Amino acid sequence: MFSQGIAVQERLGDTGDHAMPLGEKSSPRGGGLFQYASGTRPLGGYVIKRGVGSGGFGEVYYAISDAGKEVALKLIRRNLDTELRGMRQCLNLKHPNLLSLHDIRQDDSGDTWVVMEYMSGECLETELADHPQGLPLQDALVWFHGIAAGVAYLHDHGIVHRDLKPGNIFCDEGVVKVGDYGLSKFISCSRRSGHTESIGTIHYMAPEVAHGRYGKELDIYALGAILYELLTGHVPFDGESVGEVLMKHLTAQPDVSKIAEPYRSVVARALEKDPARRFATVGEMATAVGGGEQRAGGGEQRAGGATEQRFGERGTESIDGQDGRATGGHNDSDAYTDQEPIALFVALQLQKLRQRWQQSSLHPGAKRLIVAVCILLFLVTAEIVLPLTMLALIAYGGYRMIRFVYRLCFCPIPIASPTVAAFPVTVVKASRVSVSSEASIPAFVIKPLVRVTDLIGSLLVAAAVTAAMCVVMLLILGYRGVSLQIEQCAWLYLVSLAGAWFVLITAKFWEGSRGERMVRHFILMTIGLGLGLVAFGMAEVLLVRLPIDHDLANRAAAHWVPPVFYQDSRPMAMAYMAAFATLLGVLRWWQDADPLRSTRLSLWSLLVTVVFAYIIATAWQFPKPWLMMVAGCMSVSVQLSSPWVPTYARLRPQRKTTV
Amino acid sequence: MALSDTKPADRFMLWVDAVGGYWVCLADELIVGQPGDCGGADIPILADISSRHARIRRDGEGYLIDAFREVRVGGRPVDPTELLTDGSRIEIGPSVKLQMRRAHPLSLTARLDFLSRHRTQPPADAVLLLADSCVLGPRPQSHIVCRDWTREVILFRHDEKFYCHAAGYFEIDGVVCKIRGQLQANSRVIGEGFSFSLEPVERKSVVD
Repeated sequence: MFSQGIAVQERLGDTGDHAMPLGEKSSPRGGGLFQYASGTRPLGGYVIKRGVGSGGFGEVYYAISDAGKEVALKLIRRNLDTELRGMRQCLNLKHPNLLSLHDIRQDDSGDTWVVMEYMSGECLETELADHPQGLPLQDALVWFHGIAAGVAYLHDHGIVHRDLKPGNIFCDEGVVKVGDYGLSKFISCSRRSGHTESIGTIHYMAPEVAHGRYGKELDIYALGAILYELLTGHVPFDGESVGEVLMKHLTAQPDVSKIAEPYRSVVARALEKDPARRFATVGEMATAVGGGEQRAGGGEQRAGGATEQRFGERGTESIDGQDGRATGGHNDSDAYTDQEPIALFVALQLQKLRQRWQQSSLHPGAKRLIVAVCILLFLVTAEIVLPLTMLALIAYGGYRMIRFVYRLCFCPIPIASPTVAAFPVTVVKASRVSVSSEASIPAFVIKPLVRVTDLIGSLLVAAAVTAAMCVVMLLILGYRGVSLQIEQCAWLYLVSLAGAWFVLITAKFWEGSRGERMVRHFILMTIGLGLGLVAFGMAEVLLVRLPIDHDLANRAAAHWVPPVFYQDSRPMAMAYMAAFATLLGVLRWWQDADPLRSTRLSLWSLLVTVVFAYIIATAWQFPKPWLMMVAGCMSVSVQLSSPWVPTYARLRPQRKTTV
Repeated sequence: MALSDTKPADRFMLWVDAVGGYWVCLADELIVGQPGDCGGADIPILADISSRHARIRRDGEGYLIDAFREVRVGGRPVDPTELLTDGSRIEIGPSVKLQMRRAHPLSLTARLDFLSRHRTQPPADAVLLLADSCVLGPRPQSHIVCRDWTREVILFRHDEKFYCHAAGYFEIDGVVCKIRGQLQANSRVIGEGFSFSLEPVERKSVVD
């Protein structure tokens, strides 16, 4: 994209901008409306060439001095002595990560102009607009550490920036520079009096501003908000109106669940409502963010390194390829120490692909055509692709299992961390569930009696939901031309219900506590053995014969599954127990019953459950559709019948404790 | 360049407020080289290159580059001529990297973006090779993408004269125009939500 120069744009109008395609950003005010035209000379010695941006404080122009030096001229409309003194303090600050101020001058009509370094590079706001999903980690760290170094220098000289925002941060020739620092006091003051100037920066404004506190913690909060936006692509608190955003700054907790550790806890701490609980210094925060070698101390070195790759070569998407990515990959492995390299690689490639897709300048029609062709290709080749994918997934699952056991034996410490995952699916679940931070858990430790009544309610709901699910299954099967006998329906219903009840009862015991994960898996596996027996017993009592794929059963059962499992290709007690024990032992069923899960009914969780049921049934040669149906019924009824606290309600008890 | 000139020079600076500065060339043949007092470089780049390093010319429906010195396109050395298409990466000398952009499929106008840290002299954000018309607007297909604009503005040539076309009313040098208006060599255009200026670039000494 084009260089934006020092664009200071209002951010109020961009509530949904980041979701929009490139170049379709709408703004309340357009590019025009500059007081001085190209070629005018309001300030002696400089010719204005074009306007760069305008904000509440005045306008910024790109100008060339008589000798040919490029500068940015900022016109300050109101100039009170106290504010000018604040700006003059900053005139001689020198730091590679600060935009340098050359001079402050007055023109003939008495207006004040700040003469400063012109940045031809992109401003962070533009960069963020180009990356609606957040910047690649490597770039985000370069930006963050650059900003942090500049702000740390300001703090070291007793100056609080007070107006940190992406529109004030630039990258030129690979060096990140923070601008607008001298003026910030001026802007903050007018903001307090409720002028419209404030709306530009509310997304990064700390809550204590409401009480008139302007300390260093303000900048730490803004840094936290910027880091959040760098990593996720959107601001921590957004809303339809200024009031809504301000209210969220004051009361709401940021949703940090999408951010990987260690950044998650850094952002959470920097965005604490209470200034005393934030990082004490910028340096401390930068250390916590890590990626030490790319600290701003190495800013100059970076300028010639990876940053150059990225920022020095403007306007291309194709360039952030191999080199940048290679170092990025290295760094990511620091970030997700407990992530598995293959999954990480795939995730990175997917992210890259998504970015290129979003940034490509293809016509929307052409994009739709490509998608259509892809879907068509998939449909045509599904016969081959699906089994291959399944095979790859199974192989990968085995690999993850071995890796997990290996890590369990040789590196015991990371297991305690909630992000360690035995299976790819659980990575997602882990990050989801961590929303239920310890802070909010105590609020949900309920009296035993209430628990019992809660549980009974859940069990009754589960009975109803399971019945409904069985009807759904019947309809699906009916659609496929298979009709069930009445005793098969009864078996399906009773087994699913028993499974759901087992899970609900067990999960009730574990509710509100963290618990050892492997122990829970083991207990559930034992319960699964019982469920298998129940299922077998039901089948015997009801005289159900589960229809089996005879070919497969005969062929595979002969050499893979022990003979006690099947008689006349009919599953015996052992087969039931094996299948159900695996089904309950492998998945984290208690998360489906967690009142603090992210959504009441997660289709993703349902999908994972059914896919695992398929794999397990294949492994034990158990009649596939039956295990899958039971697992699906169980997943849905557990999720729908167990209590769930909506996200907005989670804050309430917490606030009560702080008041 | 006198103020009364009705015809814009064959190269000028286009200063688009809140967007950027563009070096606009109208000629069909353009010399790329180092800026200098005696040089006739149409695209003067402050870099370690010769004063007449390469020539970019419009030919029918496309662009060609002639190498006088070391030039590579897409990594391959050019000897002596190579076709330039949308996305072509041009390396001039050891370090200058440019990218050809033909944003609008129906227009012959192209844009040269700097991929390396070099810039023209006087400095511009990109070079615009203006053939017949040039679109300024919010869409990515515009020759000059102006994100915050709400409408498109088209600059076009007709009979050696230069016009500005935009929906609704706008002002050229203080005169209100509707839909279309003729531009002078150093016109300033102000519309609802947009403004830009033309500035002729003097040739110090023309050696053609």
